[in-house]
Amino acid sequence: MTAPARCVLHVDMDAFFASIEQLDRPELRGKPVLVGHAGPRGVVAAASYEARKFGCHSAQPMAVALRMCPRAVVVPGRGRRYQEVSQRVFSIFRDFSPLVEPISLDEAFLDLTGTRELFGDPVEAAEAIRRRIREETGLTASVGVAPNKFLAKLGSDENKPDGITVVTDHEIENWLPTLSIRKMWGVGKATEAKLTSAGVRTIGDLARLGETGLAPILGREAGRFARLARGLDDRAVTPRREPKSVGHERTFEVDLPTPEDVRRILLGLVEKTARRLRAAGMRSRGLTLKIRFGNYETITRSRTFRDATDATDELWREAKAGFDAWADASFRPVRLIGVSAGHLERADAQLGLFPDARRERSSAVDRATDAIVAKFGSGAIRRGS
Amino acid sequence: MEFSIDRGEFTQALALTQGVVERRNTMPILANVLLEAGEDLSIAATDLEVHIKRRCGAKVAEAGAATVAARKFYELVRELAPGDVTIRLLDNHFVEVTSGRSRVRLVGLPAEDFPTFPQADGSSDSAFTIDVEILARMIDRTLFAVSTDDTRAHLGGVFLTGAGETLRFVGTDGHRLALVSESVGGASAPEKGIILPRKGLTELRRLVEGRDGEASVSIGGNVVRVELADVALVMRLIDGEFPNYEQVIPGEVKFRVAIAKDELLSALKRVSVVASDRSRGVRLALANGQMTVSASSPDFGEASEELEVSYDGDDLTVGFNSRYLTDVLAVLPDTQKVEIGLIDDVSPGVICSEGDDTYSYVVMPMRL
Repeated sequence: MTAPARCVLHVDMDAFFASIEQLDRPELRGKPVLVGHAGPRGVVAAASYEARKFGCHSAQPMAVALRMCPRAVVVPGRGRRYQEVSQRVFSIFRDFSPLVEPISLDEAFLDLTGTRELFGDPVEAAEAIRRRIREETGLTASVGVAPNKFLAKLGSDENKPDGITVVTDHEIENWLPTLSIRKMWGVGKATEAKLTSAGVRTIGDLARLGETGLAPILGREAGRFARLARGLDDRAVTPRREPKSVGHERTFEVDLPTPEDVRRILLGLVEKTARRLRAAGMRSRGLTLKIRFGNYETITRSRTFRDATDATDELWREAKAGFDAWADASFRPVRLIGVSAGHLERADAQLGLFPDARRERSSAVDRATDAIVAKFGSGAIRRGS
Repeated sequence: MEFSIDRGEFTQALALTQGVVERRNTMPILANVLLEAGEDLSIAATDLEVHIKRRCGAKVAEAGAATVAARKFYELVRELAPGDVTIRLLDNHFVEVTSGRSRVRLVGLPAEDFPTFPQADGSSDSAFTIDVEILARMIDRTLFAVSTDDTRAHLGGVFLTGAGETLRFVGTDGHRLALVSESVGGASAPEKGIILPRKGLTELRRLVEGRDGEASVSIGGNVVRVELADVALVMRLIDGEFPNYEQVIPGEVKFRVAIAKDELLSALKRVSVVASDRSRGVRLALANGQMTVSASSPDFGEASEELEVSYDGDDLTVGFNSRYLTDVLAVLPDTQKVEIGLIDDVSPGVICSEGDDTYSYVVMPMRL
């Protein structure tokens, strides 16, 4: 008996943040919308399809996007709202398979191999998922149905927006080879340039060269690329990936000139980071500060500590110590400051016999702050630095 | 210095000192044992926190003292042929070991550099004698619960306190607490309480293994001194405040079940196989005269087992770290049922042996 052929879905919400804005604000529908910060150093977090026609896309500097599409409406992001919608979408996914691997708020792999008996033909299941997303959230999603993750991802990208692509042997033979190498995972500008100069432009070219032909160009990666190019990918869909780090950063319109200015912003970022740790039930044992200057030069400063914590107080003490050590010695005006909490572990579920007075007090303050922020938003309460 | 001693007896005596010698130490002399030959032989080792001195009979040809690397010396003596072994101090602190046709010269260090053994100065704050079997049991029932977290030094030992004829040991790591009280003759244990370090108690437990008779204990300054027939151990007390343990022992529990110890222990061992490696969490669920022990984790699967208990209260489910339960069951006698007292899923549970009011174990639940 052979194992049943795998069936993997890649579901990608269409212009997720922008679509939510258009859903919540009917006056934005049909208009080019850019989600992100409007200032000169803002970055596009999402572009509606109307804006994409002009060449706008996410991760683009806002200034560039606005040059391409001056009529675009710029709206600030609302992370909490996106998260809420994302949770609804993911709960639909989980109705179809326990094997859901989130990639981001708006993207996931689903393994339907074992649930075929339950939901019948995977294509019908994919349609049912799209229908439920539309009915329950008012948003559209694109889906790729394929025997593995690589092909499913290529599939969802093929008929965007609001489309479905089923990748079968026929497509692997006739469609996959025609795709640009840019569609491959792991092909960035550098790899693309190397491949192009060797005359490799399509996935078909990759497949023809094979591992031995690719080795001189790609080195150790040659085998992986050759296999992917033939449509082979045996990576498993792994549910519930634990985050490796949690963090926030901020870019300034004008470089911040004094350590005091930066420290004040950093405190806000640490507060947000600590709040997210607590919400996720995680604790951190190490912080990394990221500092970028006007010329894009970026430095990082890391600190690790003995006891994992989710307390704002303790994280701030570490962040401040790390920042001050740098600032006292060599402060320069700062373009971007970021903090990320790493070395994450699950917060202890074991209850303690003896209350730790200091920790109890600080966690009571954190709990109260979290409740106020949840109710009134993060502007409602601030810590005095 | 020169003496002869039976290899078997010598090996046993040296074995007792091995645990005290630090594997990693900054003072080279602390890796050595001190051999002092006088009327008889004494063997001493220390890490400055715990000192141990064992006396044994030997034919002393010339009095004197020498030190030699504890581990190498022990390994060597253990491998010698049965019969007498002769130890002689040579020039430059070399120590010669001869036995049958074997002749070994070991590098030594000056005996006068070895830290002096703390002498009893007769001004102890309190002193008592205790049957060594009782002492061993009290250590066994508390030491396992002591914290191994170096950052919480004050929990890194067993708290010893007394009132009248009663001597009490308490061990806790902040999640569970073991408390044993025994009445001992002629006790005058310190009411204020002292904290005995884990390492010292581990060595003491090793010393009393298989012995009978009495140990005399005296506490003075910042050390406690324990004397047995042929061996003395001095340990430095942990300087710190032991938490107010009495306040965390529930006065009244709401639900109480009695259950055969073996059944519970083996059910826990089976079920916890599928518990998550990190939390080792198991659920105890009480309902309709049954206790269900269960565990599950996304990585391994799920397991449950039903045990008959005498119980007719409300339904209740509480999560615990399974190791905290199996640890205590391992030190309770097989012959008696264990009693589990519970309040709710966030309050401490109490475990003891049915009909034994000398011992109780308090364990905090975990959220599962």
